[in-house]
Amino acid sequence: MKSLLPLTILVIFSAVFAAGCGPTYPKEKLKESIIEVCKKDYNLDVKVDTVGKTIAIYLPLENLIDFTFAITKEASEKINDVILSVSRVALSTDAGYDFYCIIAHDIRIPEIQIVIIKSVDDVKRFLLNDISRGDYSKRMLIDIRFSPQAQKERAIKEVFSKMNVDKKWQEDVLNDFFRSEPAALGDIGYWNGRFYIKDISMPEFLAEQIASRTRFAFREDKELADIFLVKSAKGSYFSRPGKGYFKFEILAEQKALEEARHAKVRNKVFEVTLNEAAKVLHAYRFEDFDQLEIMDQSDSRSLDVSRGDLESYRIKELSLNDILKGVASIPRAL
Amino acid sequence: MRSRRFKMYFKMYWPRIVIIFAIIFVVMLAVWGLMSLESFYRNITLATMPINLIMVALNATIFVFMYMMFMQGGLAKISKSKIKGELVNVKWDDVIGMEEAKREAWELVQLIKDRAKVKQVGGKILRGMLMLGPPGCGKTYLAKAIATETKIPFLSMSGSEFVEIFVGVGASRVRRLFKKARELSYGFGGCIIFIDELDAIARKRVFSVFGGTEETNSTQNQLLAEMDGLQEKDENVVVIGATNAGEDTLDRALLRPGRFDRKLHIDRPNLEEREKLFEFYFNKINYDKGSVDIKKLARKAVYKTPAEIENIVKEAALIAARDNKPAIEYKHVSEAIERIEMGLKHRRNMTPREKEMTAWHETGHLIVLYLLHPTKDVFKASIIGRRGALGVVHENPREEWFTRSREVLVADIKTSLAGFVAEKLRFNTTSDGVDTDFKQAMSIAHNMVWKWGMNDAGLVGDYTLIPESQLGESTKEVLNKETNKIMQNSLKEVETLLKNEQEIAKRFVKELMQKEELDYDEIDAIFKEYGKHQAPSPL
Repeated sequence: MKSLLPLTILVIFSAVFAAGCGPTYPKEKLKESIIEVCKKDYNLDVKVDTVGKTIAIYLPLENLIDFTFAITKEASEKINDVILSVSRVALSTDAGYDFYCIIAHDIRIPEIQIVIIKSVDDVKRFLLNDISRGDYSKRMLIDIRFSPQAQKERAIKEVFSKMNVDKKWQEDVLNDFFRSEPAALGDIGYWNGRFYIKDISMPEFLAEQIASRTRFAFREDKELADIFLVKSAKGSYFSRPGKGYFKFEILAEQKALEEARHAKVRNKVFEVTLNEAAKVLHAYRFEDFDQLEIMDQSDSRSLDVSRGDLESYRIKELSLNDILKGVASIPRAL
Repeated sequence: MRSRRFKMYFKMYWPRIVIIFAIIFVVMLAVWGLMSLESFYRNITLATMPINLIMVALNATIFVFMYMMFMQGGLAKISKSKIKGELVNVKWDDVIGMEEAKREAWELVQLIKDRAKVKQVGGKILRGMLMLGPPGCGKTYLAKAIATETKIPFLSMSGSEFVEIFVGVGASRVRRLFKKARELSYGFGGCIIFIDELDAIARKRVFSVFGGTEETNSTQNQLLAEMDGLQEKDENVVVIGATNAGEDTLDRALLRPGRFDRKLHIDRPNLEEREKLFEFYFNKINYDKGSVDIKKLARKAVYKTPAEIENIVKEAALIAARDNKPAIEYKHVSEAIERIEMGLKHRRNMTPREKEMTAWHETGHLIVLYLLHPTKDVFKASIIGRRGALGVVHENPREEWFTRSREVLVADIKTSLAGFVAEKLRFNTTSDGVDTDFKQAMSIAHNMVWKWGMNDAGLVGDYTLIPESQLGESTKEVLNKETNKIMQNSLKEVETLLKNEQEIAKRFVKELMQKEELDYDEIDAIFKEYGKHQAPSPL
């Protein structure tokens, strides 16, 4: 009896740990797996494509938006179901994807699309309670927009129609010159049965996330929201030999204010963007940059901050005023 | 036999088997559940499994500890192991120093082995055997040898393990013990239950006038019922009991045929057996063959049990080690015997007069013992304090005697009185050092007259059995006179002897004052110097 005990324990542990081997969704069947999970668990028909370390999922919906241009509750639930399905597959595969983006279309108005971009690592950290729900939602990029490809093609087609170009030639020209992989995250989409996706990199995801958070911060703060109207917030990452740098272009229209109050809030664009950048870049432990530039387009001023100064500002070794000493006017183009 | 053994294992261990199967089933379910999880969640579950296991183990340990502490009377219960079958490894030839008992026990071995044959000829199957004898004579050892020889399981428990303050616990343990024995018997064709210190539960039962009974009564009743059950169910379970209490102290119901119907008296070893025992134990260690005379030692170790002999050899080994000797010498054995028999020395600061008085006292004992006692030798005389006494004359039986004659008893009385006489002759006064001597002498004289008919008045019989109220004053007076007569006559004889041997006495006192201790050889040499010889043996 006693001699059997170690053997039994060994068998039990081997069985348990053997059960833990192997991914549920092997990389060879990743696309099929996502399609199957969405169909089987939520009865949703999706299309899947991948490029590099990014998965793209197209979800056609009948009622994506209502007459107020708000996402319907039904559509929101379906989008969440797809997010959950893709998260499950992305976490339990050996494919090693870093990002996924969900492109939801309203089939009645295919020009309008919702693009959601998420980092797989964020999902994992959220499930392991490493980040809060609030932070998790801020780490997700959501954009409702007209499909850039649709706009582009419509404009070109108008030109073609004015020039009476043959339809066959129109398609060939479009395919050759205007249907290519998007250059920026804002160009990601799905149009006419074709994915327009790119391999998302961590710095551009972070740049877009900082811009998105800045926009959200101006909306969230009641005082700022009363003064500023953020028309656009764009984040980009440029790589150059050695290190890269971030560039944030913020266009925030300011209400007319008396002199004293104006002076007080004049640097808010720099302050808010700087805060968000410091927070996000530290949270992702991202260090592959040596500088960031913030452009307040409405005030035609810009601020260059080095990585070291940003870190000093984060840990409060440098004050905002110290940082703002670097603010300069943007030279007017001739 | 294989299927029977399988069934036996199932009967014995069915709860364990059920638990093991349940665990396997649960583990399989867990594995199945894990397999159905997606690898990410599975990995999380597996990653947290070790800490969960530790927590479960910790909780279980705390629970068991608390349960044992509060419900079961302590953790000591866990360590009790009753089955020792596989641990018993005492070969028949290892049992030495009890040839007679071995012969009788062999019969039991044969009866257990050839049970079918015995049944065939209609013979009686033996159910129980009771081993009686002084402690340390190898009763447990013999029982283990029986188990080894018969190659059947051996369940060993001590009688005291059945005794608890909680009513019914002892009886329930008896039931469990016999149940286990029956199960083992089913699988292995027989089983031996050995109950050591049987007297703990087998003493004569006490019945209270209030209707209640003692806890040991119910334990014993259960033992009786179980032994009867063995007979009814015809199972090859033999109960061997061992006790050093007298047979008459045990409950008669246990001793009747069908229960402990075979009684094996295991006595102290005789000369030949002691020799074998010394040989056996000395062969295990290094000893100086030239110095250690085993035959002489065997003669010296009269009435010693095997355990005592083993103890002597072990003690001698310790003393030799302390003296940095590679082998045991005779003096080490002698010192070991002395230490065991007489205890450790406690030197006291006595006044010269007190020391001299002690020396005279011991010399008195020494001379009388040597010159008058027919069955005892002087082993050692000492005026170094031991066990509360200021001095001692250690005596040693010359041979094994199982009875004492009147002459021997009178010699014992004289030896006891000699210390008193010696003090009186030398100092014309006496001390309270005679207390134990007088008790011993008076007890012997009293028993001689009152119990053993050794008197000149013709009063024969055990007068101590007659209640005092029924015993006539005149009879008592005569008996007491006779007792006193023995004492007085002995006293006179000792006085005469010691007066005559004053020269030798002075010599011994001088030697003792100088050396404090005298061995047999030294004592014998001094007597021989004066042309004196030891009292002749009656044989």
